[in-house]
Amino acid sequence: MSASRSARAIWAILRKECRSEWRTRYGLNAALLFALTSLTAVSFAAGRLGDRSDLLAAFLWIVLLFASLASLSHTFVREVEGQTLPMLRRVASPTEIVAGKLLFNLLFLVVIELLTIPLFLLLMAAPAPQWGAFLGVLGLGSLALALASTLIGALIAQTRGRGALFAGVSFPLLLPVLAAAVNGTRAQWQNLPVASELRLLAAYGAALLAVSVLLVDHLWEE
Amino acid sequence: MTPAAPQAAAAAAMRIECRGVGHRYSAGRGLDPVSFTLTGPGLAAVTGPNGSGKSTLLRILAGLLRPVAGDSVVSVSGREVPAPERRHVTGWLAPELQFYGEFTVRENLDFAAEARGLAHGREAVLNAARAVGLSERLGDRAAALSSGLRQRLRLAFAILGDPPVLLFDEPGSHLDEAARERLAAFIQERRTSARVLVATNDSREWSLADERITLGTRDLGDPS
Repeated sequence: MSASRSARAIWAILRKECRSEWRTRYGLNAALLFALTSLTAVSFAAGRLGDRSDLLAAFLWIVLLFASLASLSHTFVREVEGQTLPMLRRVASPTEIVAGKLLFNLLFLVVIELLTIPLFLLLMAAPAPQWGAFLGVLGLGSLALALASTLIGALIAQTRGRGALFAGVSFPLLLPVLAAAVNGTRAQWQNLPVASELRLLAAYGAALLAVSVLLVDHLWEE
Repeated sequence: MTPAAPQAAAAAAMRIECRGVGHRYSAGRGLDPVSFTLTGPGLAAVTGPNGSGKSTLLRILAGLLRPVAGDSVVSVSGREVPAPERRHVTGWLAPELQFYGEFTVRENLDFAAEARGLAHGREAVLNAARAVGLSERLGDRAAALSSGLRQRLRLAFAILGDPPVLLFDEPGSHLDEAARERLAAFIQERRTSARVLVATNDSREWSLADERITLGTRDLGDPS
């Protein structure tokens, strides 16, 4: 009963986030604009980077990170600034709220990736990825990215100066994700094994999930 | 007003108790320790000057705020409901309650009903909207509501699913006379099956109460 009630609450929050994003286009437009302009600008300035797998991997994750970060970091800030957090807390537990927003952030990342990656491969003339390894790195990297940004967003939502705080707190937490994701992406383009990067991303994601589970019930306690 | 689905059995075995409950936001701000016990259905008024902690007390009972002193009990059907689960048995109305401006009234209430896991969510939404006179406004965007209509939406949100405990903080604010009369009639009706606490300094609201909890002076919290 309790598990199904939680599942319904998480589903309701996910649908609410999707509907809100669809109505306001708060993050999607900005993310797509960033991805499109940065890819076009680099394409014009540097030409095709097909033989530079190291640059390709780094550039791909920079585009994904910065395109999505503005939205990912604001899922909780929007609730605080819109003063809707008390309403949300009246209908769901902190765990359900964070889970619903985590799923939305993951979905948002997937949408950004679906729109950005084909364009990236085309404009950068990137070699065909080894799809299994590429999608593995992309999936685990996105999961870790969504977990880290959701957790930080939840923690800093009610602090003063949260914008600056997000940048300061997220840098050390996101750096391992970026490093492993860039390494893994480069390795698959160089036909090298990516197992160690996948393990690192999975372990890091599991650690972030464990920390989230431990912390979320104490969020927003006054 | 639409008759609320009675939860008479739950209400009969209902108890709200505060044992030395106090809170401090900062020096001089908050709620001085208060103790009282309310049993069964009925209407209790929480009164006191501005800053005496009326809203804080209701937030504590709603499970939104952890007191720094004492403890509170909300017991329904003989079962003590821990603070994190009180959203399932309490309806809370307060001025700080805001809604998603980009959603309609119906979408806000539908979301609340769905997230709370109400069995007959659509029906509950229609009943709540009808009870507060918002049936004709279900398609309006929340951001476009006047302050009076927004207060009705807060009221609809609080009574959604007919919770056995209703915590109303300044429920009459922004309401016109007709809406106030509707609210008074609704409270009169619900006090027979639910425990209603109204934080107010409006004599039209507290004069109807069976019990009055006066805050503002240390140790004067017992019902009189």
